[in-house]
Amino acid sequence: MLISRRVLLAAALSLGALQAQAAVAPQALVAPITDYKLYVLDNLEQFTEHTRAFTEAVKAGDLARAQALYAPSRVYYERIEPIAELFADLDASIDAREDDYENGVQDPTFTGFHRLEYGLFHERSTEGLDAYAERLMVDVNDLEQRVQGLTFPPEAVVGGAAALMEEVAATKVSGEEDRYSHTDLWDFQGNLDGSKKIFELVKPLVEQDDPAFVARIESNFAALDDTLANYHLSQGDASKGFQTYDKVSERDRRALVGPVTVLAEELSTLRGMLGLD
Amino acid sequence: MTDSPVSAPSRLALRAGLVAAALLMLGALALFYVSLGGKSATPYADSTEVTVTAKGCVPNAISVPAGKRRFTVINGSERAIEWEILDGVMVLEERENIAPGMRQQLSAQLTPGEYAMTCGLLSNPQGTLTVTEGDGSERVTEVSARALIGPLAEYQVYLTLRGRALAKAAEQLQQQIAAGDLSAAQQAYRAARTVDQQMALAVGLFSDLDQRLNARADYFAQREQDPEFMGFQRLAYGLFEQQSLDGLRPVAEQLNHDVAELRERLRAEGVPAPQLARGAGRVLQAWHDQQQGQAQLSELALADLMSLQQGVDKVVSLVVPVLQQAHPEQAAQLAEANQALAAQMSEGSAPSVLPLTEALAAQLANVNPLLAAAN
Repeated sequence: MLISRRVLLAAALSLGALQAQAAVAPQALVAPITDYKLYVLDNLEQFTEHTRAFTEAVKAGDLARAQALYAPSRVYYERIEPIAELFADLDASIDAREDDYENGVQDPTFTGFHRLEYGLFHERSTEGLDAYAERLMVDVNDLEQRVQGLTFPPEAVVGGAAALMEEVAATKVSGEEDRYSHTDLWDFQGNLDGSKKIFELVKPLVEQDDPAFVARIESNFAALDDTLANYHLSQGDASKGFQTYDKVSERDRRALVGPVTVLAEELSTLRGMLGLD
Repeated sequence: MTDSPVSAPSRLALRAGLVAAALLMLGALALFYVSLGGKSATPYADSTEVTVTAKGCVPNAISVPAGKRRFTVINGSERAIEWEILDGVMVLEERENIAPGMRQQLSAQLTPGEYAMTCGLLSNPQGTLTVTEGDGSERVTEVSARALIGPLAEYQVYLTLRGRALAKAAEQLQQQIAAGDLSAAQQAYRAARTVDQQMALAVGLFSDLDQRLNARADYFAQREQDPEFMGFQRLAYGLFEQQSLDGLRPVAEQLNHDVAELRERLRAEGVPAPQLARGAGRVLQAWHDQQQGQAQLSELALADLMSLQQGVDKVVSLVVPVLQQAHPEQAAQLAEANQALAAQMSEGSAPSVLPLTEALAAQLANVNPLLAAAN
C-alpha cells in the first residue's frame, strides 16, 4: 500500500494541529515551567543519592549490590532527560552508549553508567571500575549544580514530552539502551513518567480547546502503563522494578510500539499549540 | 466527521459529508507532504545543508548570518545519528535519531558568535558554526512576553525554595525562643531574617503580610508598645535592644503563621513581570530611605542590605540576559550597578553604600517599563 496507515495518521494529526491553534498567553506557561523545575530538582536530589550508593557499592567491590542498584539509580536521570541532555558534555560522560564511539567499549573516553554496566553485567566484575564510579559521582554532582542554576527554556520543557517518547522509540523498544543488564523497562518507565509529568503540567492549557487530543494522549499513556505492568516484579508497584527485557513477549513488544509512536507524534504538536515553535 | 446524533440523515447529506471528509483528508495529506520538505516543494530554499558521515560533518565549518536559520541534516553514515548546535557545552538545538540516508530539517534562532556542532559519533571531531552579524533585519527591538516565561518561572522556583527555607528558619526561631536561649535565638533570628529579606520583593506584594512580618515600630501609634507591632522588627527589638525573650513567644508563633500564609499566596500568584524589576528597586529604595541620614550603619541594617542585595541579584541575573538583545545599554548599566553595590557592601560604610543602593534601585526602575511592556 502506497499510503501507509502511519502517513494517514500523521495527516490526520497535522489537521488536528491546525484546528487547535489555541492562543495560549505566554504568562500561562510560567506556572507549569516552575512546577517542572521543582520536579526536576526533586528527581536530581534522588538521583544524586542513589548514584552515591551505587558508586560506593562499585568501589567497595560489592558486585551483587552494584548490579542491583544500577537500574534504580538511572530511573531519575531517565525522567529528567529533556533537561539533563541540555548539557552535552555531561550527557555524554554520564549516559553515552558504546555505539557513540568509533572504538566502542575500548574508547578511553567512554565513561558513565553504560561503561559501568559493561563491567558489572558483561564482565561480571567490579575490577577496574573505581575510576569510572568516581567520575560518575563527580559528573552527577556537577549536573545537579548546573541544573540548579539553569533557567529552564520553555521550548525544551514542552518539547521534552515528545523527546522522551522519541527516546523510548529509538533506544528502549529495541532493547539496546541496557544491552548488558537488560533493565530497559526501568528506563522505559522513567522516560514515560517524565513525559507524563510534562503533559500533566501543561494539560490545563490545552484541555478546553482540544479535549480529544488530551483523551488520545491519556489513553495511549494508559496503554503503555498497562503493558509495562505485566512485567512488574511486584504486581501493581512500578517502584519495585521490572523483569529483564528479554522476558518481554513479542506480542507485548509490538503492543508497546504503537502507543509510543502515536505519543511521540501527538506530543510533538504541543510546542506549536502552546506558541513555542 | 463528528458523531452528533442527527436523526435520519438524507443520503445526499451523507454523501456530501463523505466528500467533505475526503477533501479534508486530501488537504491534510498535501499539507503533510509539504511539511516533509520534499525536494520538489523546496519551501526551505534558504536552508544550509550539512551531511554527517561516519567521520564527522561535511562541511565541518559553516558560517551563517544571525537570525532564524534553517539547516538540513543529511545522514550519510551507516548508523542513526544526532546533530546538535552547541553554545559552549549547552545544547541550543538538536535532531536526534536521524536514520541512515535520511534528511531532517531544523531551525534555530541564532545570535552572532562561535558555536560548535555535534557530528554523529561522540568520538568524531566537532564542527564549527560561525554566526556573523546579519543585515540587521534579525535585530530584536523589544522584549517579548515569550522571552520572560523562563525567567519568571525561575524566579518563582527561587521563591518556592526560599519559602521552604524561611519556614524552617522561622520554626527554628520559635523553638529557640521557647527554649529560652537568648544567644541561640539571636542566631536563629539572623538566619530567618536573611531569608525574609532575600524574598522582600515578593513579600512586598502583599501589604497585610508585609506589615505583619516587617513593619517597623515607627509606623505604629505607640511604637514599640503598640499591640499591633509584631514580626521580625518586634523580635529584633526584644532580642537585640532589650536582650530579653520576654513576650516573644506569641510573636514568634504569629510569625510562623504568617510565613505559612505567605508561602500559600506565593504558590497561587507568583510575581508578575511588571513587578519584578520594580519590586526589586522598591525594596532597595525603601532600605535606602530608612538609613538615609545615619552616619553609621548598624550591624542589623547592614545584614538586611546584604540579604536584600542577594535577592535583587537573582532578579538582575534573570533580567539582564532578557534585555541584552533589545536593550544592550540598559542591560549593561544594570549589571554594572549591581556589581558595584555587591563589591562595596562588605566595607559597610554608609557614605559608600547608600548612593550605590540608590543607583541600583534607579537602574531597576529604569528597565522596568521595558519588561512590563512585554506582558
